[in-house]
Amino acid sequence: MENDSLYEITVYTENQVGLLSTIAGMFTRRSLNIDRLVVYPSGIEGVHKFKIATRTSASMARAVVLQLEKKVDVIKAFYEIDDERSSREAAEVRNFLSMRERQKQ
Amino acid sequence: MLTGAEILLESLSARGVDTLFGYPGGQIMPVYDKLYDYSDKLRHILVRHEQGAIHAAQGYARIKHAPGVAIVTSGPGATNVITGIADALIDSTPVVVIAGQVASTALGTDAFQETDFIGLTTPITKWSYQIRRPEDVAWAVARAFHIAGTGRPGPVVLDFTKDAQVGQALYEDVKCDFIRSYVPVPEVDDKLIAQAAEMIGKASRPFVVFGQGVLLSGAEKELAAFLDKGDIPAGSTLLGLSALSSDNPHYAGMLGMHGNLAPNTLTQHCDLLIAVGMRFDDRVTGTVATYAKQAKVIHIDIDASELGKIVPVELGIHGDAREVLSRITAAMKPSVRDSWMKKVVSECKAIEKDKVSDPEINPAEGPVRPGEVIARVAEVCGGDAVIVTDVGQNQMLAARYSRFCKSRSFISSGGLGTMGFGLPAAIGAKIADPSRKVCLFVGDGGLQMTIQELGTVMQDSVGVKIILLNNNWLGNVRQWQELFFGKRYSFTRMMNPDFAAVAAGYGITTVNVEKRDDLAPAIDRMFSDDAPFILNVHVKEEDNVFPMIPPGKSVDKVMLNNKDWFEYGE
Repeated sequence: MENDSLYEITVYTENQVGLLSTIAGMFTRRSLNIDRLVVYPSGIEGVHKFKIATRTSASMARAVVLQLEKKVDVIKAFYEIDDERSSREAAEVRNFLSMRERQKQ
Repeated sequence: MLTGAEILLESLSARGVDTLFGYPGGQIMPVYDKLYDYSDKLRHILVRHEQGAIHAAQGYARIKHAPGVAIVTSGPGATNVITGIADALIDSTPVVVIAGQVASTALGTDAFQETDFIGLTTPITKWSYQIRRPEDVAWAVARAFHIAGTGRPGPVVLDFTKDAQVGQALYEDVKCDFIRSYVPVPEVDDKLIAQAAEMIGKASRPFVVFGQGVLLSGAEKELAAFLDKGDIPAGSTLLGLSALSSDNPHYAGMLGMHGNLAPNTLTQHCDLLIAVGMRFDDRVTGTVATYAKQAKVIHIDIDASELGKIVPVELGIHGDAREVLSRITAAMKPSVRDSWMKKVVSECKAIEKDKVSDPEINPAEGPVRPGEVIARVAEVCGGDAVIVTDVGQNQMLAARYSRFCKSRSFISSGGLGTMGFGLPAAIGAKIADPSRKVCLFVGDGGLQMTIQELGTVMQDSVGVKIILLNNNWLGNVRQWQELFFGKRYSFTRMMNPDFAAVAAGYGITTVNVEKRDDLAPAIDRMFSDDAPFILNVHVKEEDNVFPMIPPGKSVDKVMLNNKDWFEYGE
């Protein structure tokens, strides 16, 4: 069995109505839980950018990216392991919360 | 200024569309009203249920090699085509569905016959779009046809609001052959072609598995030339049938669960597996864990997401089958292979003929077997007819015992396995090419799923030859119950109507065949003219389709009948 990692999948799309549900549907179909979803203008005129984090295997991340790219209005899709950055961020949050806990006492 | 409805019909004509399969209703009435004035340009086939419209459009598309068009109303009209849309997606069939929708001002209000059709069909379409303004109609239609028919073909939905149908706009035809985010035909690097040619040159036992991609890209000649030059045997998937003539010397037979012994055996003994325009469906691979593990794999497909999806590949070539095959053929050296593979093919064919095919198509006694009906039809048609199937035993046997000498001659619901597909698909196929014989093989279960389309056959005098392999069972499920569920025949026995009486109500001639001696004359009578005809053959009731690779088994471990197994080399 492959190990799961937290992947960040980035999707560049045309600005078309309904793409959010199209993209979300690709994850739902494979029972992939979306840990994080951000949508914003990409900086390239008329191009939107989705960033979706999900915990899965490398082969599943690759399959999702290829099938996302198949959608007519999807321009490009990428995937990368998000684990390191995300665990650093999580550690920061945990530190912050425990600091606040101490401050409360 | 034209109305949106008129712009739709003008745009369809501009795309070369001349036939629509449809059913009117409230929210598509403005289009139907204008259609009344377009009857010289657009032939409308009134089906009896919207599912019939979409399957007929699919059958039509497979013969025409161009998108079929279905037109329906909103709400139930739209939801009734969903099965066919899912079928067209998984079988890469180009169809454009035009559905009425409530006025854009009423969207989201739970108006009468409103459904979120885009939401319902997003996961099963190649593209879908809601037309809310008459100004967008020409653009949307042009884009829909471009997307449906290019690359890996598929279904497209246009959800057409009523106010966009009646509103007016200036009409100017829009061309669409470029969408920047959509690359239907990718460029293939010379390096990949050279690498493929080298791998094929080095292989001692290469084997080709091909699918419908060969037909969709029009690569039939290129495939045959490739096999000739490389001296390579080939097996077809269900939907690849007829891409290679049945008597091509390199053709080893059909792959998969009920396929032929030879191609399934070669899959497990080749050193190079070359997959062309196919997607390693589980009915082809059996258990993937043991599938062609000894072989290197080259996979050629126009859909990049298919490469490595199921079977790991040494070389994936993302491209059009016709172009890639012709370039590899040009780049490779001619070969004459050792005779080992030819020996395997002839031995497998001999065993299969003796153990499976002969008892099925030449039984000396007992009830009529479905295989002998199919073989007899194949003999009379000489491989020239369009063979349409429904789903189940009729489908597998028709695939096994039909013969093909013309491309695009086999129409079946492969990926989705849609019972009820056969009759409307046969109607669409016959309308697409009235000059060809169209033979439908269908079971008693599947026929009753869309039997209402006999009304369409009647109204438009569609000369389909309906061969009903009637065993009073849901045969395929019954077979699985017998083999894998302890003979517990849970709800698979069917009490059937008098089909001849039903057909008589539609004015369609039926001949019932109970005895073997009556079969050949009845088939001759069926082909004596081009009128619709039902041949109702009472076939052996509790019959199984063999050979069979049971689910979860490797493709070279094959059941020949209820007790004998086959594995090459044993």
